[in-house]
Amino acid sequence: MIDRRPNHRTRLRSGAAIALVMVLALVAAACSGNRSTAKPSTTSPSGSTGPTTSSTIIDTSACPAGSETTGVTGNTITIGTSVAQSGTYAPFSAILDGESAYIDYTNAKGGVTIAGKQYQIKLVAKDDAYVASRTVTNVQSLLTDDKVFALLNVVGTKNNLAIRDLVNRECVPDLFAASGATQWGNHQFPWLIGSELVPYPLEVKRFVDYLKQTKPNATIALLKADDDFGQSYADTLTQLIKGTQLKIVKTEQYDSTGSEVKTQVNALANTHADVFFLGATLLACPAALTAASDAGWHPITYMSGTCVSKVLFSIAGPPANGVFSVTPLLDPADAKNDATPAMKLYKTQVAKYKPKADLLDGIVGYGWTTGALLVKTLESAKAADRFSVMEAARTLHDVSGVGLQIPAAKWNTSADDWFVGETFQFIQYDQAAGHTNAVGGGLTNDDGKTAKLTPGDLINRK
Amino acid sequence: MALFFTQLLNGIQNGAVYASLAIALVLIFRTTGILNFAQGEIALYSTYIVWKLTTTGMPVWLAILLAIAISFVGGALIERVIIRPVERSSPLVIVIVTIGMFLAINSLTQLQFGSGEQALPSFYPQHTWRPGGVLISSNTLALVGVLAVECALLYLVLQRTKLGLAFRGVASNPESSQLLGVPVGRILMVGWGLAAAVGALAGALVVPTTTGLVPSSMQQILVFAFAAAALGGFDSVFGAVVGGMIVGVADALTIGYVHTLRGIDLLVPFGLILLVLLFRPAGLFGTTRVERV
Amino acid sequence: MANQQRIIRLTVTVVVVAVVIEFLGWYFPTHYGSTDTNLFAQAMFIGVAAMGLNLLTGYNGQVSIGHGAFFGIGAYITALMMDHHYDLLGIKIDHVSFLATIPAVAVISFVIGALVGFPALRVKGLYLALVTLGLAVIFPDLASRFVKGTGGTSLVALNGQEVAAPQWFQNWFPRLSAQDQWAYTMAFVFALLGLLLLWLLVRSRFGRSLIAVRDHEAAAASVGINLARTKVLAFALSAMYAGIAGSLSVLVFQNASGDDKLVTFQLSIEFLVAVVIGGTATVLGPVIGGFAVVYIQKWATDQFPSKPVVSPATFGIVLIVLMYVLPEGVVGGIRRLRTWGSRTLRSRRRSTASPARL
Repeated sequence: MIDRRPNHRTRLRSGAAIALVMVLALVAAACSGNRSTAKPSTTSPSGSTGPTTSSTIIDTSACPAGSETTGVTGNTITIGTSVAQSGTYAPFSAILDGESAYIDYTNAKGGVTIAGKQYQIKLVAKDDAYVASRTVTNVQSLLTDDKVFALLNVVGTKNNLAIRDLVNRECVPDLFAASGATQWGNHQFPWLIGSELVPYPLEVKRFVDYLKQTKPNATIALLKADDDFGQSYADTLTQLIKGTQLKIVKTEQYDSTGSEVKTQVNALANTHADVFFLGATLLACPAALTAASDAGWHPITYMSGTCVSKVLFSIAGPPANGVFSVTPLLDPADAKNDATPAMKLYKTQVAKYKPKADLLDGIVGYGWTTGALLVKTLESAKAADRFSVMEAARTLHDVSGVGLQIPAAKWNTSADDWFVGETFQFIQYDQAAGHTNAVGGGLTNDDGKTAKLTPGDLINRK
Repeated sequence: MALFFTQLLNGIQNGAVYASLAIALVLIFRTTGILNFAQGEIALYSTYIVWKLTTTGMPVWLAILLAIAISFVGGALIERVIIRPVERSSPLVIVIVTIGMFLAINSLTQLQFGSGEQALPSFYPQHTWRPGGVLISSNTLALVGVLAVECALLYLVLQRTKLGLAFRGVASNPESSQLLGVPVGRILMVGWGLAAAVGALAGALVVPTTTGLVPSSMQQILVFAFAAAALGGFDSVFGAVVGGMIVGVADALTIGYVHTLRGIDLLVPFGLILLVLLFRPAGLFGTTRVERV
Repeated sequence: MANQQRIIRLTVTVVVVAVVIEFLGWYFPTHYGSTDTNLFAQAMFIGVAAMGLNLLTGYNGQVSIGHGAFFGIGAYITALMMDHHYDLLGIKIDHVSFLATIPAVAVISFVIGALVGFPALRVKGLYLALVTLGLAVIFPDLASRFVKGTGGTSLVALNGQEVAAPQWFQNWFPRLSAQDQWAYTMAFVFALLGLLLLWLLVRSRFGRSLIAVRDHEAAAASVGINLARTKVLAFALSAMYAGIAGSLSVLVFQNASGDDKLVTFQLSIEFLVAVVIGGTATVLGPVIGGFAVVYIQKWATDQFPSKPVVSPATFGIVLIVLMYVLPEGVVGGIRRLRTWGSRTLRSRRRSTASPARL
C-alpha cells in the first residue's frame, strides 16, 4: 500500500521523538528527591500545635504542625529575604549590603544569643526585581528548599501584600517589611510586621503639623507616583487636612516605571501653590525638585522619607536645598554624627565586610539598622522558635541604640501598637553642607498613634 | 496660555529625545530590516562610558565625542560578530538575538558600573528663560539643536557621499548591490555603527535632562522611540523626527490637559499611531512595499 | 509493508504519549517538591501562551509583542472572580471556583483579541507589532487605574482557601491535593487541552488557510480564503490562549498583578522567545519553548547565586547562542537532524547493498 501522506508519517515520528526527548529532559531537569517528605501545606490538619504559651496577639492554633523550629539547625539560624537586585529598583539592593554587614559583624562576635544559646545567622537573599509574583515564588522556595526560619526586610508594599497570606498560613515571621504602608496594621495578619521606616501617615502628619504652625492657610500641590505607594500619601494627606485651612489645589501623578515628571511639575508650578508635596521615590524626587526650580517655583517642599539619600540629594543639586522630610535614623553623610559610637561602629564594620558599599548612603545605613533590629528581636525572644520570635517582634519595649537609630529615640510595639518606626526626626536638607539637619525641635514621638491617625479602611481594606 | 507653550516646548524636548533614538532604529531597519530591541541598551552603555570618562575629569563634550567614536566601533563590531551569523535567518530569529543582546547589555552594564543612580553633567549650562511666563529650558534648545545638526549631517552623509549611495543601495536591494561590487558586509557594519553613534549622542543628551543615570534609563524612551519610528515610517529618518515630535507633544499635552486620561495618557500617542497606520499602513513617511503576485 | 510500519509507529507514539502523561500527570507531581512543580507549572502556562502566539505568529505570520496584556487580562479576571469580596458592576461575585472562571476568561479574551485583530486587516508586519506593543504598555496603566485589589493596590492576592484544590478534586486524587499539585495539575491539563486544540486547528481547513494567508495573502484571497475572518480569528484564538495562561498563573503565584509595564512587556517577549526557541509553526515547539524559557532562566540564576544581575546576561547570551545553533528552534532542529540521519543511513545502506547486486 502506498502511503499518500508522507508528511503525516514524519509528523507522527517526530512527535514520538520529541516526546522521548521531553521525558529525558524532565528527568534531567528536575533534580530534587522524593516528595514523600515534602510538606502538604494547605491540607495539613489544623490541630493545635505551637508552644503552649498563649498570646493575645498571635493565634497559633491553625499553624502547620512541626514547623516551629524550621530553619534552626544546630547552632545556625537561617533567615531569608527577597529584594530587587536587578531591574528599575536594583538600587534597593544596597539595603542588603547593610544587612549582611551587620549579620557578618554579629557572627564574628560569636553570634546571636537566644535563651542562653548562641547561634550563627545565615542570610539567604533572592532577587525579585520588585515584581510581586516573583516575590511569591522566591518566598515559596525559601520556605521549602532553603528551609528558612523567618523572612527579613522583604522590600515593597505589593511584594509583602502578595506573601502576607502565605506567611500567615505557614506561621513564618515576615520581619520588618521594607515599606511604610499602613496595611501592616491589619490584625488579621499578625505574622507580618513593618520595619523602622516611618509609616507614611506619620510623615504626612508631621509635615501637616509643621504647616499648621508656619502657614496654616497654605495651598498644596501634590505629585504622586501612580501606584499604591503614591496613593497612600494622597489618601492620608487628604484625610489629615480635613477641618484645617490647608487645601490641595492640584494633584498630578507620574508613571512610576520611569522618572519623567516635568510636564506634571510644570502644571503644578502653574498653580503657584505655597507647598509642593512629593509622594514620589527614587529618581523622580530629584527630577521633580529640578523641574520645580526650572519653572521658577520655590514652594515649601516636602518629599517622601524614601527619597532621603545622599545620592538623590546630590543629583538634584541646588534645587534640593531646604527640602523637608523625615528620618528614623542618623544621617551617615553628616560628619557631625561621626563622633557617635553607633556611627563609628557602622562605618568600621560596613567598610570591613562590604568594602564596596557607599558608607555615606542612608539606604546602606537603613539595611544595617534593620539587621541590628533583627538581632535585637532574636535576642529578646524567649525561645528559638517562630512563635517566640514573632511575639518578640510584636512586643518590642523601649528599643534604643539599634544600628543607626537616633540616640534618644525609642521604638515600641505591643498588642495595640503594630508599627515600629513611630519615633523619628523632622529634617531639612542643607545643600551647601551636603547633609540633612534636624529641624522643628527634637524628635517627633508618635508612638502608638499610627493606627489612630489612619482611617481604618486604609489599614484593614482587603 | 503661557503654560500651554511651556508644555508644548516640554513635549518638543521629549519628542527630540524620542526622535534621536528613533533615528538609530531607522538606520538599523534600513540595513537589516528588523527592529533592534537592543538599541536603547546600546545607547545606555554608551552613556555609561560618557559618565565614566567624566569621572576622570574629562570635559563632558570631549567625553561625548569619544563615546560616540567608541560606540561607532562597538556598533560595527556587534553587526560583524553577533548579527552576521544570523543575517540570513528569518527576521524573528534576528529579533530574538537583539532581545538576547538587550538582556545581556543591560545586565553587563549593571555589573560593570553598578546599579545605583549616577549624576551625569551636561555640556552646556543649565538655564531657564521665562519670557512672558513661558519656560524655555536650555535643555530644550540643546536637544532640538543637536537633533537638527544630527539630521543635517545624516542627510549629507546619506545623500551626498559615495558611502551614502552604497548605503541606500544596500538598503533597497542588497543582492543587486552585491553584484555591482558594493561591499555589502562593510556597509551593514557602517549602518550599525552609525546607529550606535546616534544612540550614544541621544543617551548623553537626555540623561542630564532627566537628572540621573540608572540601568533602566533608556527603557521607557525606547518604547516611545518605537512608537515614533512606527508613526513616521520605519525606513524614514525624517519620519522618525516628525514621529518623535508628534508622540512627545501629544503625550505632554495629554498629561497637561486631559485629566480624564490621568495615568492612562499613553492611550493618546498609541491611539494616534493606530489611526495613522489605519490610513497609511507604512507610517507617515514610510515607503509601502508592493506585494508582488 | 508500509502499513505495518505505520501501525508500529502509531503504537510507539501512543505508548510514548501515555508514558509522558503518566510521568507528567502523576509521577512528577507526587514525587517532586513544590519548587519543582511550580517551575513546571510556569513552564506549562508560558507554553500555553506560546501555543496561542504560535498560531498567530508562526502559522499566520502576524507578529505580536503585546500578548502579555491578554495574559494579564486573564489573570485579573480569574483572580477577581475567585476573590470572594469582589463586587463587579453591582453584581456580587462570591467565591467562584477556578474552573468556573475559565469560560469567562476564554470568552472575554477571545472578544478583546478579535477587537485588537481588526486593525491587523490594514496594518502589517512590524507596524502591527508596534500596535501590539502599545497594548502591552497601556494595559498596565489601565490596570493600575481601575483595579482595586488587595490593600487598595492593583495587586489581587488570593488567600490559601481560595487557591486550594476544590474538595471534589481532593476526594478523587488525594495524593494530588496539595495547593501546588492542584496548580500543577491544572497547568498540565490545560496544556494538554491546548495542545490538542492546536493540533486539530492546524490540521483543519482553518489551519491551512492560516498558512496560506501567511505565505501569500493575495494568492490566498484568490482561492477564496476570507482574509479578514482568518486574521481576526487567529488573533482572537491566540488571545484566548494567552488569557487562559494568565488564569493558570493565578493558581501558581496566588495573585494577579499586571500594573508593571516592564513585566507585561517582558512576558510578551518571553512568549515570543518560547515560540522561536521551540520552533515556529510547530505543534510541540511552544511547550518545549516554555520549558526552555523557564529552565534556562532558572539555570542562569543558579549559576551566580550571589550576583543576580548576571543572570539576565547569561539568559541573553544563551538565547543568542541558541539562535546560532538552532535557528529553526528545537523541533526544527530535531527534524533537520532526523532527515540528515535518515539520509546518511539510506546512502550507507545503498552503498553496502550495491555490491550484493552485482
